[in-house]
Amino acid sequence: MIEVDKLVKRFGAVTAVDGLTFTVRPGHVTGFLGPNGAGKTTTMRVILGLDAPTSGTTRVNQQSYQALIRPLHQVGALLDATALHPGRTAEAHLLSVAQSNGIGRARATEMLRLTGLEAVANRRVKGFSLGMKQRLGIAVALLGDPRVLMFDEPVNGLDTEGIAWIRQFMRALAAEGRTVLVSSHLMSEMAQTADRLVIIGRGRLIADTTTAELIESSTRKDVLVRSPRAGELAELMTARGATITKEDDGGLAVTGLDAPTIGDLAASRGIAVHALIPRAASLEDAYLDLTGESTDFRAASPRTTERPEGVPVP
Amino acid sequence: MTAIDARPGPVTPAAPVPVAVRARDVLTSEWTKLRSVRSTYWTMLVAVVTPIGLSALVAVTLANAPGNSPPVDPLLPGLLSLEYAVLAVGVLGVLTFSSEFSTGLVRTTFAAVPRRRAVLAAKAAVLGAVTLVAGELVAFVSFALVQAVLSGKHLGVPLSRPGVLGAVLATGLLLFVVATMGLGLGAIVRHTAGGIAALVGLIFLPAILGLLPAPWGGRVGRFTLLDAARQVTALHPATNLFAPGLSLLVMLAWPALTLLAAALLITRRDA
Repeated sequence: MIEVDKLVKRFGAVTAVDGLTFTVRPGHVTGFLGPNGAGKTTTMRVILGLDAPTSGTTRVNQQSYQALIRPLHQVGALLDATALHPGRTAEAHLLSVAQSNGIGRARATEMLRLTGLEAVANRRVKGFSLGMKQRLGIAVALLGDPRVLMFDEPVNGLDTEGIAWIRQFMRALAAEGRTVLVSSHLMSEMAQTADRLVIIGRGRLIADTTTAELIESSTRKDVLVRSPRAGELAELMTARGATITKEDDGGLAVTGLDAPTIGDLAASRGIAVHALIPRAASLEDAYLDLTGESTDFRAASPRTTERPEGVPVP
Repeated sequence: MTAIDARPGPVTPAAPVPVAVRARDVLTSEWTKLRSVRSTYWTMLVAVVTPIGLSALVAVTLANAPGNSPPVDPLLPGLLSLEYAVLAVGVLGVLTFSSEFSTGLVRTTFAAVPRRRAVLAAKAAVLGAVTLVAGELVAFVSFALVQAVLSGKHLGVPLSRPGVLGAVLATGLLLFVVATMGLGLGAIVRHTAGGIAALVGLIFLPAILGLLPAPWGGRVGRFTLLDAARQVTALHPATNLFAPGLSLLVMLAWPALTLLAAALLITRRDA
């Protein structure tokens, strides 16, 4: 279990994490989502005792990280897979980390096998691809057989095969009852991996929910209707309980009635319909809706839809 | 060591691990790190081979100098040649920490061992042991070579003469002193180039102060690392510097203070 309580971290004038509170529980893959610069990595560094919080606390398995004896037995983390001495072999790197926590060579060798690095164990890591470095980082994280695992953007830069491997790996770890926290800035990635989501933006909590709930509550479903007699049709649909938003180009965004019903209704009154398109916003759109207000640097967007300031948190 | 099962066992309570065991863990880890990079072997090779060859060369030059009784300390070649080797081990010392900061590896290290001073101490111990052994090896081999050359001209001194053994032992300390000082600077500056610049600045710049006109040359020079080292290792100590015993303390104070500053800073800064 990971507990983050009223965490604040400032770097000079920049507030990276701004009063963040959430709990990550065992048995699930918890996605830690937010745009780049939202404070995900900083939060993970504080949890690992690498950065000192400005205020607030973080605890792992009910203990402060600094108090952990041989912490690799409780927490395994992969922050930056490229943070390696280029001249050291994979085996020497893994062994040196293992030894610092009283873990023996046999376990280190076992982790190389588990991550498929046996064949390159004696090669210097400077020749490794990013995918191989990610595997080595995961081998390090698993050394102490920890109950808590944290991965920072583990699929960044990986090929499809590598992504599938990591995804399946994280799900297996959670299924074994471990606490797994995985950060990402991609909703689409997390939708396929995470059961729970902690979404942050500009260092603040935006949503703490399950993936299913987020899909349920945030997914917009409507029907786009175009008709030369739009006004007349709109009245009919409103009378049947539909909610209608007029779009800029004259189309009607209809919720509350499904496409067949609208088609039948129009036909019954002899109203021509030029378009009848059921639309479903993706989870990615839901995520953008949630974090759109809190992105530090955003490209000018062609989307004109106004979003309310206080987005309802499911 | 037994292999741990890949599946999670019951949550292991934080079993008390004796401090001595934890110290051994970190020492073993740092030893693995030191011997698993090539730079260690290259710098140690330079640090051992260069001074041995150089001291023999200096001895030959001294022995063939015109005029019969050069007022030169017969132990000086051994030390002079080591003054070049200090750069190699100093760089190794800086790299030992700065390379972890520049690659980001230090975050893995500190996450595995949250007691950062234990990491600093272990690095100092491992690097110190290696450079101490290498330094003493160089000092004694150099001494044997130099005396072999000088004795042909009846200028040599035997190891049995009072003060000679101590002086040779002290000569061998120089590599250890500079390597651990470099380590401290690497932890303070956290950049390789900056750390090396700081090391060179602290060792060689003050040496220029020793050239100030009397009495200032001695008054300031007695606190510099290289003058203190010469004083400790000389058969006939200079009169304007500290006595050899005190000079030995000056020599050891440089790495001690550097490591102390590193220990204070290392827990205060974000990794």
